Amino acid sequence: MAAAGSVGGADWAVVCDKFRTARTLSSVESRKDPETEPYRSKYSARALLQEVKQLLSAAEEGGEARLLAVRRAVLEYELGVNHTDTEELSAGEEHLQRCTQLLEPHRLSPDCVSLYIQAQNNLGILWSERDEIKTAQTYLESAEALYNQYMKEDGNPPLDPSEHFMAEEEKLTDQERSKRFEKAYTHTLYYLAQVYQHLEMIEKAAQYCHTTLKRQLEYCGYYPVEWALNAATLSQYYLSKQCFMESRHCLAAASVIFSQAGQVPSTEDSEAEQDQQDLRQRKAEIARCWIKYCLNLLQSCALSFQDNVGELDPDRQLELKAQRKKEEDEKENGRKKAVLFGTSDIYDSVLAMEEKVSSVYPLDFQEAREIFLVGQNYVQEAKEFFQVDGYVTDHIEIVQDHSALFKVLAFFEEDYERRCKMHKRRIDMLEPLYADLNPQYYLLISRQLQFELADTYYEMMDLKVAIGNRLEELDSHTIKKINSLAQLAIKYYELFLDSLRNPDKVFPEKLEEDVLRPAMVAKFHIARLYGKLITSDSKKQLENMQTSLEYYTFLVDYCEKYPDAVHAVETELELSKEMVGLLPTRMERLRAKLCPFI
Amino acid sequence: ALPLLNSPSVEGDTIKVYVRVRPPSEGTVLTDGDQGLCLSVLSSNTIRLHSKPEPKIFTFDYVANMETTQESVFSSVAKNIVESCMNGYNGTIFAYGQTGSGKTFTMMGPSDSDNFTHSLRGVIPRSFEYLFFLIEREKEKAGNGKSFLCKCSFIEIYNEQIFDLLDTASAKQMKKGVFVDGAVEQVLSSAAEAYQVLTMGWRNRPTSMNRESSRSHAVFTITVESMEKNNEVVNIRSSLLNLVDLAGSERQKDTHAEGLRLKEAGNINRSLSCLGQVITALVDVGNGKQRHICYRDSKLTFLLRDSLGGNAKTCIIANVHPGSRCFGETLSTLNFAQRAKLIKNKAVVNEDTQGNVS
Repeated sequence: MAAAGSVGGADWAVVCDKFRTARTLSSVESRKDPETEPYRSKYSARALLQEVKQLLSAAEEGGEARLLAVRRAVLEYELGVNHTDTEELSAGEEHLQRCTQLLEPHRLSPDCVSLYIQAQNNLGILWSERDEIKTAQTYLESAEALYNQYMKEDGNPPLDPSEHFMAEEEKLTDQERSKRFEKAYTHTLYYLAQVYQHLEMIEKAAQYCHTTLKRQLEYCGYYPVEWALNAATLSQYYLSKQCFMESRHCLAAASVIFSQAGQVPSTEDSEAEQDQQDLRQRKAEIARCWIKYCLNLLQSCALSFQDNVGELDPDRQLELKAQRKKEEDEKENGRKKAVLFGTSDIYDSVLAMEEKVSSVYPLDFQEAREIFLVGQNYVQEAKEFFQVDGYVTDHIEIVQDHSALFKVLAFFEEDYERRCKMHKRRIDMLEPLYADLNPQYYLLISRQLQFELADTYYEMMDLKVAIGNRLEELDSHTIKKINSLAQLAIKYYELFLDSLRNPDKVFPEKLEEDVLRPAMVAKFHIARLYGKLITSDSKKQLENMQTSLEYYTFLVDYCEKYPDAVHAVETELELSKEMVGLLPTRMERLRAKLCPFI
Repeated sequence: ALPLLNSPSVEGDTIKVYVRVRPPSEGTVLTDGDQGLCLSVLSSNTIRLHSKPEPKIFTFDYVANMETTQESVFSSVAKNIVESCMNGYNGTIFAYGQTGSGKTFTMMGPSDSDNFTHSLRGVIPRSFEYLFFLIEREKEKAGNGKSFLCKCSFIEIYNEQIFDLLDTASAKQMKKGVFVDGAVEQVLSSAAEAYQVLTMGWRNRPTSMNRESSRSHAVFTITVESMEKNNEVVNIRSSLLNLVDLAGSERQKDTHAEGLRLKEAGNINRSLSCLGQVITALVDVGNGKQRHICYRDSKLTFLLRDSLGGNAKTCIIANVHPGSRCFGETLSTLNFAQRAKLIKNKAVVNEDTQGNVS
């Protein structure tokens, strides 16, 4: 190993000292460099490295070619990193290439493998800075392959590059060597995650993010809060892919790691000492990710249970129940697919966290309600931080999710009266929010609230009609209820339509693509609502029919004028055309009844 | 199924993007096709970047070459926004680009002049003049029927903290609109007064060791309120004009910065700080499913939420330096501007009608 004594006439201890100083200059001192001379320390470090390189060259005759080659490779590596740090990419590339050339024959030996991988990492970074992502990818993938090969064939903790310029007594412990080696490899994976993201290989990028997080846990190189947020964010990726088990696992791990956040001794970085306010916000953010989890699970289940009119299909339900029985025996198979965050000390806590909420489709109201309740708890938790004053948009988004939870729960409820009550809960939470909101600043949210309120009233009215239809005869109380719900729905649809008018209160000739469908649906629903209003006064009835006809006609005329709009409202258009055909005849008949003597 | 109401990023008017190429510093002569120049302006809306192997051509709403005057920048960028502001629309003008690309010159003017009448004065002072000119004109037209109230605030965002350049403040969102809690609002009665507040605030920017001025955003906001009486009906309009000098875009730590930032900070114990960005990007390309992203945007995007895909007319001035040395930053500035064109805004008049028609 390292020849002590002299190197090219210089004392080895002096050489090591120069090397160590250069590294300190690069990593510690350089952070204090003034703005006017941002690279002062880097340049000083470079000068020292060049000195050491010359001392080594002078020692060329000293035999031990391999030892010299490796030491030279360490210097080339340091010089390469130094040049890229100071934005001299071409020079940096040359040094790094020389480093890998020197190491090529020995890259699988324990004294070279770590250095080789780090050189490859840095070449990857360098090419990515040139925007040559494909080239970066080849370097990083080959670093990954080398790590795997080394672990398979040897697996002993390899030397850290800095050890080549250390006195024998300073050498690192195996544990420390292993830690640094694994860290370098974690970086390889972390860079690859970014490369794949830039190449839009989304699935692969997600997998590498996941592995990076997992390794951070294993090797303890992370801030709990940041880690938890990353895991929670990753859970949202899995949600968008409908992988509920993976999503839940990420969230459970996020919650467990986050709960440790308060108990970590702070590192030298101020980021670890996030103040309480910040922690509370992060906690609320994670709660919001849980809300989305519960909501997505329920919604996507509801979607698969729907028959063609959007109601729960009991046959499909039974079918799925049978299927699930079969699957329960094979339950563990899915687990193997998922990457787990499995360090033994947190594994049990994560498991316990996961058991609080299902990750499979609920098959009946009871099961749906359990997921709903978990979601609702997280709604309360998120609202504690995101209060309406100070966090208007966040607060409203959370309430909108809460409302959506009720909506999807109502889908599983068979009793119409109780279903209606759930929708009433939505009204109760949304209406006061809407009333207080200044549409001047929150135009978009206002519109969303108008539309949702309208839709909820519309749904309640339909339920009341369905309940009424089961009765022998409509009692006056039910009639009143139906009419008032219909009127409220109309009111909010009209408010929404009014928000589209220009400053002179004129409704747009041609609707923007993004509001086309909502506007058309609003028109269509209003038409239908006027048709549902119950009145014993035939004149009034005629008026309502007339209004209804006008709204249906709007749809038909608009789509005739702008055929591009048809795709957005196919079903509604078909029904509107039908109604435009039917209504005048009905109105004629009614008129005939009203004044039989012409 | 319920129709989805789209998120703000796909609403109405697109953001206007104006690219301005600054001339190189005195004494350096660069000729087109020369080694020293990395771009050429092809027409009033296209620019060619001499990238290898293939040159890249970018198209924007307007491209201003090196000869473009301050007056002409104002006319094509800000004039229309100030007019809309008078009609009750919110408006925002951003300057974006690397340090030294001419942002401050474009927005403020030459750094050494406190002189409001300087022929090289920038967009902000010219906007003041034009705004008050329009106000006077309106007043004359309407006689006593119309009155105006203008107020301004001036804040700086540095390192995710808000500093009130007229005092101290923090940002909050209220049901009645985003506002900066405790920010001093000064009533303005003339362009000269506005300019005074601006220069005073500009000088107020705290300077300390290791504080890079190029890393701070300055946001100057004017609120214009008008009240019009028409037999018993009172019509109140109020609008905001945000004039923003953004921090240098190079080595951006901001959300959605372009370019790869693979590198881990030298510190051995740092966590992998970019990972969050990567994951966020993965979630972002999701398919419109409901999801929540933990990383909240920076204070700036929070404050200017209304301007970015909200209720406002917005223009971004992307400043670039033509020198070859700036190739990388110029490319990322142009890429950013290209993306900004995809953002759509929906502007509506901020109007409130009170009174009783009896």
